[in-house]
Amino acid sequence: MDNYFKMQIPAKSENEAFARNTLAAFVLPLSPTVEELNDLKTAVSEAVTNCVVHAYDGDGSVAIVAEIHDNMLFVTISDNGKGIEDVDKAREPMYTSGGDERSGMGFTIMETFMDSVEITSSLGQGTSVTMTKSFGVC
Amino acid sequence: MKYKYEFDQLIIELYGDVDEHYVKKIRDDIDFLISRQGISSVVFDFKNVSFVDSTGLGLIFGRYKKLLARKVELLLRNVPSHVDRVFRTSGVYSVCPKI
Repeated sequence: MDNYFKMQIPAKSENEAFARNTLAAFVLPLSPTVEELNDLKTAVSEAVTNCVVHAYDGDGSVAIVAEIHDNMLFVTISDNGKGIEDVDKAREPMYTSGGDERSGMGFTIMETFMDSVEITSSLGQGTSVTMTKSFGVC
Repeated sequence: MKYKYEFDQLIIELYGDVDEHYVKKIRDDIDFLISRQGISSVVFDFKNVSFVDSTGLGLIFGRYKKLLARKVELLLRNVPSHVDRVFRTSGVYSVCPKI
């Protein structure tokens, strides 16, 4: 069955678990494997963490839109924050703008754990990450 | 988070979801524990960890860099399979061996 949901949450770290667990619950009708669920939760957590850590200096929000078509999940996680200056660079493994405490592996994990990752960003306007993953296909 | 010193080894047991929300609460405590003189290695134990994302990796890499300067080894123990997948993707084992 095709399905969708939209939600908006404050860009706060306590909402990361809520966001990833919500997506995991949303795809349950697709009978995901435990590994697929963990992959999805990790990728969602990366995208939401980026909004929480990098997007805003003060308060802000994260919008999550998810759709299921057949066995395919489309999820877009976006913010209205400061944007990413160089998206190609941000996607490089180990690159981080966050200093010693950041691994720089967020986008690499999204790319590894999902089927596709698309990033659009503009300075001062925000960043949007759209990921897809199909379930039940081995 | 729980910890114990066994001779010259510091063992830190992490709990639950190791994400931004958790890491920012325990990072300073861990830094205080590892700053103690006379330890030869630090072990992060993941037995009770249900989830790790790149913020957890950042915690490991950050501590690794601090310990490297003092020639103290950082080891990873009891890594569950879902955490192992994130660790393998990141190459963390090349600097912090799994035991």
